[in-house]
Amino acid sequence: MTTSIPTCREVEPDIIAMAAAEASPAAIRRVESHVAGCAECRTELGQYRALEGMVLDLRGAPAPGRGPTLARAELENRLTDLRSRLVRFGVFDSVLGPILIGATEHGVSVVEYLPSRASVGVKLARGGADAVEDRARTEGLYRELAEYLEGRRNRLDWPLDFRLARGDFQRRVLEATARLPYGAVASYAGIAREIGAPRASRAVAQALRRNPVPIVVPCHRVVGSDGDLVGYAGNRVGLKQRLLALEGIRTAGGRKGYHIERDAVYYRHLDDSEYCLPTCGSIGTKPLGEFTLYASRTRAEAVGLAPCTSCRPDLHALPA
Amino acid sequence: MGRVMADQAFEAVVAVHHAEIHRYLARVTRRPSDADDLSQETFLRAFRAHGALPPGSNVRAWLFTIATNLCRNHWRSEARRRRAHEAMGSRDERHDAGGPEGEAVLEQANIRVTEVVGALPLKQRLAFTMRKIHELEYAEIGESLGCSGESARAHVFQALRKIRRALGDLAIAPLGAGEPRA
Repeated sequence: MTTSIPTCREVEPDIIAMAAAEASPAAIRRVESHVAGCAECRTELGQYRALEGMVLDLRGAPAPGRGPTLARAELENRLTDLRSRLVRFGVFDSVLGPILIGATEHGVSVVEYLPSRASVGVKLARGGADAVEDRARTEGLYRELAEYLEGRRNRLDWPLDFRLARGDFQRRVLEATARLPYGAVASYAGIAREIGAPRASRAVAQALRRNPVPIVVPCHRVVGSDGDLVGYAGNRVGLKQRLLALEGIRTAGGRKGYHIERDAVYYRHLDDSEYCLPTCGSIGTKPLGEFTLYASRTRAEAVGLAPCTSCRPDLHALPA
Repeated sequence: MGRVMADQAFEAVVAVHHAEIHRYLARVTRRPSDADDLSQETFLRAFRAHGALPPGSNVRAWLFTIATNLCRNHWRSEARRRRAHEAMGSRDERHDAGGPEGEAVLEQANIRVTEVVGALPLKQRLAFTMRKIHELEYAEIGESLGCSGESARAHVFQALRKIRRALGDLAIAPLGAGEPRA
């Protein structure tokens, strides 16, 4: 270890450190050995200490300018606005492929099947939404969705944010569809009737085609008036079939499309309080749009329906 | 539910740190409106990103990093604008250091130091302010500036050396800690 006395230039950083009370013992020794023989640097140490004193004053003094109060108020306004617009989303590998879930502080606002993980944000960029990836905040939602897709859960009780819905009509369609229970199927015409626009079944189909939150708003439970599984996530009707199968709704078909097996479900006519076998009365002659279909007696009874007293579905169950 | 709680947590972040971040920005920028704008932007960015912040992170140092980056970007675009203005013969308005109220409150010595600090190169000004006014660790300052803690320390020391030279003789004898000079 060298004990030679450092030069003025060499010792200046140590002087600054010592004045700031952050010098190492070695640095202090170097300064002390130097200033013992250098009056100029002894003065410098005093000057730097005085400067530290001024800096200390500065620390307690207000910063130049007008203080934070106004800026804080403005910030709170902008945060309130951003909070309600900001979509926090995560992308997850579900059994149905990569799926995006996004929510604002008001509720879940987007669920989207992605063709690939790389195609994030196409939908989010639309409609003026401001989006940021936030896996931590969406993971809980995905866990519930995964349970749902594995058949371990049959409700997703998520608060929903429909503010990006295209107008009042779509909102009404989504709300009516959201009321369709697990294991039940209605038609576009049925939803149209439900929202008081009985002639608007095509518009209902359009509104559901743009459902921002598929699965959660179960548009897969809405089928064509002839029982066909039409239009889902672009043309991925296979997904629709899988989601219905999960709920016990039997479908037939294949490549060319699927349709509900109409003799394998229970029927409820309009707002009746009873459910029937497919063979009951005049069911076969009425349009499917007048019925809600149920996968099983359990599903029908879960919504408070009683077995029909003439066809007695309670005595003559459909073959499972 | 979780979302709501996290938003409340962010309100607490604003409540605890906004005044300090604003104060920091007021010291390192030229115009009072810059501190307002940049502090807002700091917290708006933080709001977007705080969901991705690992639990247990040092939120204060993180906010300083965001503020410092915004300040440096702002400075770069200001400098571009200034060059354009100067090319057109406009007046340079860089010494508009704070509004009249602020100046009235500042004591004489503080005004001098504040002026000298204001004339430092940006990195040194940022490093000096983070260290000496806000007492951040060198490692945190390095994080903010995108350099090592050692370099951050060198920036602070360089700033002190320049301030010391610019102020000349500090009349040590009558100057006690906390006592106004002159």
